[in-house]
Amino acid sequence: MLALLYPLLIQNFRGILRDRMLHAVLASGLGILLLVPSMSTFSMRQVQELSITLSLSAISIVLLLVTLLLGSSSVWRDIEKRYTNSVLTLPMPRSMYLVGKFLSFCLFLCFCGLILGLCAVVVIMAASAQYPSGHSVPWGNILLSVVALTLKYILLGSFTLLLSTLSTSFFLPFFGALAIYFAGSASQEVYEYISGSLGENLSPTVINTIKGAYYLLPNFSAFDYQVQAVYGLTISMSRVVLMGGYFLIYSGLLLGLAIWSFNRRQLP
Amino acid sequence: MSRAVFAALLLGYLLILPVFSGSLLDRPVEIKLGYVPHPQVLRLASADHKLLTGEWLVVKVLYYFGSVLQKSFEHVIVRPEFANMYRTLQTSTRLDPYNMDPYYFAQAAFTWELGRVKEVNALLEYGIKHRSWDPWLHFYLGFNYAYFLKEYDKAAFYMQKAGEISGNSLFVNLAARYFYESEQTGLGLTFLDAMIAEAKDPAIRKTYELRRDALVAISSIEQAVEHYRRQHGRSPAELAELVNSNLLSDLPKDPYGGHFFLDERGRVRSSSKLAPSFSTEGVSDSQVIE
Repeated sequence: MLALLYPLLIQNFRGILRDRMLHAVLASGLGILLLVPSMSTFSMRQVQELSITLSLSAISIVLLLVTLLLGSSSVWRDIEKRYTNSVLTLPMPRSMYLVGKFLSFCLFLCFCGLILGLCAVVVIMAASAQYPSGHSVPWGNILLSVVALTLKYILLGSFTLLLSTLSTSFFLPFFGALAIYFAGSASQEVYEYISGSLGENLSPTVINTIKGAYYLLPNFSAFDYQVQAVYGLTISMSRVVLMGGYFLIYSGLLLGLAIWSFNRRQLP
Repeated sequence: MSRAVFAALLLGYLLILPVFSGSLLDRPVEIKLGYVPHPQVLRLASADHKLLTGEWLVVKVLYYFGSVLQKSFEHVIVRPEFANMYRTLQTSTRLDPYNMDPYYFAQAAFTWELGRVKEVNALLEYGIKHRSWDPWLHFYLGFNYAYFLKEYDKAAFYMQKAGEISGNSLFVNLAARYFYESEQTGLGLTFLDAMIAEAKDPAIRKTYELRRDALVAISSIEQAVEHYRRQHGRSPAELAELVNSNLLSDLPKDPYGGHFFLDERGRVRSSSKLAPSFSTEGVSDSQVIE
C-alpha cells in the first residue's frame, strides 16, 4: 500500500511546488515578515510582543491563503483535466488517490509553516534586539503556536478537500472553506456569549441550534496560542494533548467523508 | 507600443513626479478618529487576529493624537475626540487585555490633560486582572489615587503591590511617602522622571517633558514663596516680589505658554492651566477645525 502511496505523494507535492500562485503567496508572506521589525516600533511599550503578534498573524494569513487556493483547486480540477482518469487506471483504490492528495497538502503546509516559522524567528530576534523587553522571548510557546496554526489549516484543508470532492467548480470549496474558517474562529466566542447572560434573552430553540452548530463546526479557538506566545503565559499540557486528539479525530472524520463522497462520484 | 513612445511616457512620468508629489503635500487632510464597532463584533470579525486588531486600534489613536498635537504646535486648533479615543482604547483592551499600550496611552493622555482619572483607573483595574506580573499598572493606579484623587490609602495599597511585584525601591519609597507625606509637586516630579525614563514614543515623551518642566518651574516658585513667607511673615502679593527680593533670579516660564501667578489661597497657578492649547480661546475661526 505504501509503495503505491509514496510516488503519489511525491508527485502531488512536486506539482504543488511548481504552482506559481503559491510562490507569489509565499513570497508576499516572507516580504510581510521582513517588514515586522520596522512595523513593531509602532508599539509604545511592547516592541517584542508586537513583533510576535505580527509574525504569527502573517503566518496565519499566508497559511489561510495557501489552504484556500490549494485545497479549493484540488480534486474537481483533477477531474476536469482528466488527470484522475489516468491515475485511477493504476491498480489502487480511489481512496488512495485522495489520501495521497491530502498527505501532499499536509506536507506542503508543514513546509510553509517551517519556512515562515524560521523567518519569524529571525525577525522576532531582530525586533527584540532593537528594544529589549522586560522578559525573554517565549520561544517554546511561539513554536507551539506555529505548529497549532499549521494543524488548524490542515484541518481547514480537510474541509476544502471534502467540498472539492463534491464540487464541479472553484466556488464551493473556496467560499465554503472561507465561511467555515470564520464560523470556526467565532464559534467558541458565540458559545460563551449565549452560555452567559446574553443567553437568558434567547429562546431555547435558538440556543440549542447555536449549540448544535458549535459542536458540529470545527473549533479553531483550540488552536489559538497567540496570547501565550506573545506574553509568555503558561500553557497546560492537557490542553495541547486535547488539541492534538481533536485535530486527529476531526480531520480523520473529514477525510473519511471525503473518501466516501469521492468513491460515489461519477467520473467523466 | 514603440520604444520611443514608452521612453517619452517614462520621461513624462519622471518630469511630472516632483510636481505631483508636491501638490499632494498641500492637500487638506482630515484629522478624524472614526467609528469603532462594538468589541464583541470586532472579536468575532477579527478571527485569530484579535491581538493585531487590538494593537491597530491603539496605533490609530496614537496617530490621531500625534496629528492633533502636531497641529496644536502649528497653532491650528483641533478639538480632540477624547471620548472616542477612550472608547477606542477600551475596545482595544477587550480584544487584547494583555497589551500594555492602551493602558500606557490612557495614563499619559487622559489624566493630566483631561482629568478623567476615574475612567483611566477603571481601565487600569481591568488591566491588572490580566497583567498580573506587571508592576507598572499598579504604579499608575497608585499615583492616580494619590496625586489626582488624594486617596492615599488606595495609593499606598497599589504602590505597595508594585513594589512587591518588581522589588523596585522607587515603588516602595513612594508607597511609604503616600502613607506619611503629601508633597504633591515633589511626588509629581518623581513620577514624571520615572515615566520619561521609560518613554519611547517621542510624542508621549514630549508630553511628559512639558509637564515635568512645568512642575520644576512651579516647584522653584513654591520654594521661593515659602522662603518669602518665612522672611516677611506673609505671602507675596505677586510673583515679581520674589525676583525683587532676590529669591528668584528670574520668573520661570510656563512651557505651556501661560504665565504663573498666585491665587487667592497663595498657591502657584498658571494662566495656561498646564494644558496644551486645545481650547479655541484667542484663536481665529479659520484656525479652528471641529
